[in-house]
Amino acid sequence: MSLQAKLIITALALANGFFILELLRKRKLTESYTLLWFLVIGSIFFATWADRFLYSLTQLFGAIAPVSTLTLLSLAFILVMLIFFSMKISRLERVIKELAQRVALDNVRRPKGMQG
Amino acid sequence: MAAAVPPHGKGSGMEGLKGKSPRGARTEGVIIIPVYNEEKNVRAVLEEIRGEGIDWDIVAVDDGSTDRSRELLEDMRVILISHPVNLGYGAAVQTGLRYAVKEGYGTVVLMDADGQHVPSEIPKLLRGVENGADIVIGSRLLGPAAEYRIPLLRRIGISFFSSVARLLGGTRIYDVTSGFQAMRRPVAEFLAEEYPVEFPDAEVIISLGLKKFRIAEVPARIRRRERGTSMYANPAKALYYPFKSLLASFIVLLRLIRERK
Repeated sequence: MSLQAKLIITALALANGFFILELLRKRKLTESYTLLWFLVIGSIFFATWADRFLYSLTQLFGAIAPVSTLTLLSLAFILVMLIFFSMKISRLERVIKELAQRVALDNVRRPKGMQG
Repeated sequence: MAAAVPPHGKGSGMEGLKGKSPRGARTEGVIIIPVYNEEKNVRAVLEEIRGEGIDWDIVAVDDGSTDRSRELLEDMRVILISHPVNLGYGAAVQTGLRYAVKEGYGTVVLMDADGQHVPSEIPKLLRGVENGADIVIGSRLLGPAAEYRIPLLRRIGISFFSSVARLLGGTRIYDVTSGFQAMRRPVAEFLAEEYPVEFPDAEVIISLGLKKFRIAEVPARIRRRERGTSMYANPAKALYYPFKSLLASFIVLLRLIRERK
């Protein structure tokens, strides 16, 4: 991979890292998700600068350019994140449903003259 | 509707609907009606039920309506449970079932608030329960009384899911999408635990069949919706429905296989 490509990827990863930190500072992201993102940024750094590792992976995948391998890894990461967030959203939906049902059942309105 | 009102004397099937429970004001059964944006229909539905001489408790579960449904219900003689937000039809049914289980009702009748389910048909469902079924489905597809004509595409869909339910759950129910049902307490307890939020049709029949509940189907008159809009009017939902129902049906089976292992 050319030095130019490495620098661009590094700059993007750093920008992403700062953005994550900013979100954390503004309490728009919780630490658990931050950890996940920093792991990803760390992996991108490693894959970008560890030439041997990236070339070995490129050969393994049958790709021509190392950049393609990085793109593939990024796509795999996006897929994992989508599944992760789908699971989180599903869980939250379930929690919200349970909470809303409990709130509703705690506030049953009975007609006058009917026992509670 | 006066012509459809059966006599309320002995043998009419209405006797059970008038019984009082040991808890005084509470009767032994309950009618659960999920309501979502049905301001044009809900009052007529409730008045029709009372007009039939049915004095069971009626539980209306308002699923976060954005129209005047909730206000109308507050002025009526019903037990009103209000979801703070819209959770979906299945969740509204489940909330009603949870209430019924908590309050100890022996029998539960489910019916919709859109006026399609005819209250005078409730005794037919209850007779099925009295005859030994755990749950009885009021069917549009059985008997000569079908005044409600199902569009061809929907009929094909219902037939397909009926076959899926038979294949996976072992029970032949023709109208798997009918929300007009009567059930015994054990079924209500089972469904109160786990009930699909969306389109609780074939999936429920399959899971009940796999749990060996006795499911019966009786002909029931269902009317055409006169006011408001049907779910099937939304093309996205109409497309999503078969996908979700089919997937959920197989998942029910997979879960059971996993449980048995």
